[in-house]
Amino acid sequence: MDQLKKLIELAKIDFEKCETQTELDNAKSKYIGKTGPLTEAMRGLSKLSNEEKPKAGAFINEVKSSIEVLLSNRKNDIQKAAMLSQLEDEYIDVTLPGLKQSEGSLHPISLTMHRIENIFHSIGFDLATGPEIEDDYHNFTALNIPEAHPARAMHDTFYIDKNHVLRTHTSPVQVRYMQNNQPPLKVISPGRVYRVDSDATHSPMFHQVEGLWVDKNVNFANLKGVVQDFLQKFFEDKNLIIRFRPSFFPFTEPSAEIDMSWNGGWLEIGGCGMVHPEVLKQVNINTEEFQGFAFGLGVERLTMLKYHIDDLRPFFTNDLRFLKQFGGR
Amino acid sequence: MQFSKAWLQEFFDKSIDDVNLEEVLTMSGLEVDDVQDLSKISKLVVVGEIVSIEKHPDADRLNVCQVNTGLEKPIQIVCGAPNARVGIKVPCALVGAKLPGFEIKKAKLRGVESNGMLCSANEIGISQDSKGLYEIGLDKKVGELIIDALELNDVVYTLSLTPNRADCLSILGIAREVSALLGLPLKDINHQLAKESFTLDQKVKIYEEDDCPKYCGIQIKNINNKITLPVWIEQKLERSGIGSINAVVDIANFVLIETGQPLHTFDQAKISGEISVRKANKNESLHLLNDQKIKLEGSELIIADEQKALALAGIMGGEFSSTNTETTEIFIESAYFDPTKIAGRARSFGLNTDSSHRFERGVDFRSTSSALQRAAVLIVEFCGGECSNILDIESNLPKREPIKLRTKKVSDIMGLALKDNDIKSVLDKLNLIYSQNKDHFLITPPSFRFDLSIEEDLVEEIIRIYGYNNIPALTPTSQDRMIGSPNNKKSIYSVKSSLVNLGYNEVVSYSFIDKDIEEKLHSNLNIIQLQNPIASQMNVMRSKLWGSHIDTLSYNLNRGQSNIRIFEIAPVYQKIKSGFKETLMLSGLVYGDSIPEQWNNNRREVNFYDIKGDIEIISSNTLSIEVPKNIVPEIFHPGQAAELIMNQASVGWLGQLHPEWQQKYELIGKTYLFELSMESLINIKDLKITLPSKFPPLRRDISVLVDKDIRVGDIVNEVNAQVIDGLIDFYPFDLYEGKGIEESKKSIAFLILMQDTYKTLEDENISNIVNQVIKILKNKFNASLR
Repeated sequence: MDQLKKLIELAKIDFEKCETQTELDNAKSKYIGKTGPLTEAMRGLSKLSNEEKPKAGAFINEVKSSIEVLLSNRKNDIQKAAMLSQLEDEYIDVTLPGLKQSEGSLHPISLTMHRIENIFHSIGFDLATGPEIEDDYHNFTALNIPEAHPARAMHDTFYIDKNHVLRTHTSPVQVRYMQNNQPPLKVISPGRVYRVDSDATHSPMFHQVEGLWVDKNVNFANLKGVVQDFLQKFFEDKNLIIRFRPSFFPFTEPSAEIDMSWNGGWLEIGGCGMVHPEVLKQVNINTEEFQGFAFGLGVERLTMLKYHIDDLRPFFTNDLRFLKQFGGR
Repeated sequence: MQFSKAWLQEFFDKSIDDVNLEEVLTMSGLEVDDVQDLSKISKLVVVGEIVSIEKHPDADRLNVCQVNTGLEKPIQIVCGAPNARVGIKVPCALVGAKLPGFEIKKAKLRGVESNGMLCSANEIGISQDSKGLYEIGLDKKVGELIIDALELNDVVYTLSLTPNRADCLSILGIAREVSALLGLPLKDINHQLAKESFTLDQKVKIYEEDDCPKYCGIQIKNINNKITLPVWIEQKLERSGIGSINAVVDIANFVLIETGQPLHTFDQAKISGEISVRKANKNESLHLLNDQKIKLEGSELIIADEQKALALAGIMGGEFSSTNTETTEIFIESAYFDPTKIAGRARSFGLNTDSSHRFERGVDFRSTSSALQRAAVLIVEFCGGECSNILDIESNLPKREPIKLRTKKVSDIMGLALKDNDIKSVLDKLNLIYSQNKDHFLITPPSFRFDLSIEEDLVEEIIRIYGYNNIPALTPTSQDRMIGSPNNKKSIYSVKSSLVNLGYNEVVSYSFIDKDIEEKLHSNLNIIQLQNPIASQMNVMRSKLWGSHIDTLSYNLNRGQSNIRIFEIAPVYQKIKSGFKETLMLSGLVYGDSIPEQWNNNRREVNFYDIKGDIEIISSNTLSIEVPKNIVPEIFHPGQAAELIMNQASVGWLGQLHPEWQQKYELIGKTYLFELSMESLINIKDLKITLPSKFPPLRRDISVLVDKDIRVGDIVNEVNAQVIDGLIDFYPFDLYEGKGIEESKKSIAFLILMQDTYKTLEDENISNIVNQVIKILKNKFNASLR
């Protein structure tokens, strides 16, 4: 009996010595294997009297289960240690840079265009595009700019041939849109436009977005409301206000320059007006039933203000050190 | 239009000193571009008289002047101006005076003390003239402040006028506008009439009455054109930005600025016989005042005598008949030319004169004669001489029909309910002639306004004077319908996003390019040329974006970048039979490493398949990338180019830049270019979704040997073309040629993926599928299993 009891002590010492599952398996067989002392003791029970048998049997089982508990504890310890050591081996330097393709970027003009389209789309403006090599009729005549009118000189036009120009504004898109759609209509037309001009503040090619809203009762005050709302949303400034200054565009009457409050002063940001009846007549819209407004904004200008860029030229030189800064937008 | 506030003041009894003209004019649509306050000149600039002059002992070009500035003793000033001489009076800046850009200090010039500076007009900031010392009238008092002596208590404004406001191209016009805006009455000015001393003998015949509905003229004899005009005239011209020529021309210009009526003075002695206003004859020539010699086409309106063309009507006079200081006898023309007939004419000769600028936009046809009177009176007053009677030929002047203006229309357009009285008060301020009816006004536009012809024009006038600032910003109310969103169309923005995620940087480049690049690099022979390019390297419209991309590549390589992945979405332009065609293209360029150099990878130069993979991703495999059927563009390496096909049509290209171009552009590495039409990218197929099978897919790999020239794509297409039940994917995952296999062969390992919708595949099914595949490979491609 005492010998058996001692087995517990011995097993404990043996198991403690084991560092791996294999060692533990070997140690286990010394105690509870088929040839181990406990199995032998069980066999020895037959020599005992009937009275002694149950007591001795119970004792043996007690010892056996004690050893099994020791075994299982040790097994857990070994597994835990193994996991710990695996984890320790697998530590990495998380500060090394991630592995990746280089970061791409959208051009700032694209970012602004997309932003403008989204804002206008939110109140139901459709999107329209049109040709950049435009005929004289759509670029000028249909917009109430007859041949040799001094207003044509305002435009510094690139000519392709006698009847074709590079569009000087995106307004011809509106004419085309009105030719193909019936009022009421709401549309913006963003795109490339061209003027013979090149210096720090002018580029021979730049981007414009024009808006048009023709309905039974949209008016000059609404025009002011829509443009101001747009600029507030674009610049995320609830306090931004605009003012209108009388101006002249052949295709609008009345016409206005749009100034926006900026850094305590006023900044010219675009032109607008009520669509000239002559323009509506050109596309067979009844001017006694419908009236409308149109506005034009410079995309580069908006972009420069939004991102605090004070030069126009980087937009077209495509220096990757400039462009990559717009990554992730 | 440049004008002086002091001149404008002459049109009002009440002072306009305190009026913020800049604000008032700008907010009424006459944009003020520049304001120059002449009174800002330092009080330490006084009238000085040079009393003696000596050569500087050590400098040839400098003089040592003693200058009387009203003090007991003259002060000593060293001066280098060529016109410095004893007796002249000039602006003298004393020590401490602050001039534009610098301050006067006591100084020694080459060892000689100098206690101030004698100034040019430019140095004190009153004009651009910096030729020499500004010689002022000898009647000026020595020591007087220059501001007082030159009446510099004045402000010069420069307006940037829109083409509709020709009526403000004169002091009178601006005065009318200011009067309407501020409610200030205009002063009653009655100029005296010219005294008629003899009967006009210059005959004039108008052949083109439509072009020239009114023509007035006057002759003046025995004038002295050598005189100096009074300072007040010269000063006004100077402050209007007009240079001095000779007395009669200066007076004509003075009247032009005052009234807006262009006048032309001919030297009477140089006119032969009758003057005619007629169309030019073809090939007639004319030597203009600005020394330009022009050849006329025949459509131009000219003023001619019996021998030759004298002037381009309404634009510029001719050199031959012009006046000079010797002139003693003149004929002055004051005419009205129809704006539509004269428009664009000056520009066609590269001209823009004070006269053409006004006639094109419209000149008051009721001031033709009165402006002439005004000039004649001034000429006789200062140059002497006698006037003839005034010639006045008039035909059909523009009609000024009354325009109906409804109060309701004003309110509808403005978005603010106005009352009849509001409108009346604006009409009164504008001094317009009108009658009031039940719900509308009938308004007759004045002869000086060419921008009022329809109701909307008057609506603008009402709102303008009412004040654009008084219009509220209101949200429109409208009955909105939703906008559809087609499910089989991708947005351009999503294509851009995909490319950005693949590491591409978007660029934006000019649509025009060098003709040479278009011809050679883009192989385009049907070029769209600009008639007036801004630079020779931007003289044609591009048919490809590649030339621009290579420019961008070089630009960035020169700035230390080594890996370039760029794209642009822009139209390209083609000339076609019916005109021009624009196609929105996606185009890109890749150069450098396949992935940027980083800590764990082996660097590899980008190759064809990298770019092909990118295109496969952005196109969601809706197009196929095939062996070219069309001629490979010359820009590409002939063996490394593929054509992009959609529905049997070519939609784009992909390839390596031809090594010859690579050398020409001095590029070290290989460059890959692609382009495809956006149309092929954004139109996507309708989706048919199948639910995944419950049973797991099974994979078998086979490795085969085939002849080197067999294309893997052909094998894959062939296997896919045969419908094999249970085969769901078949693609190559390894390719090997070289050591260990025959020289003419290559080894390809294929993955065969199989699955059944209703059951787990049995061994028998699997080997059946694999065998079918192998059979195809053997029969069609002479492949042998490895």
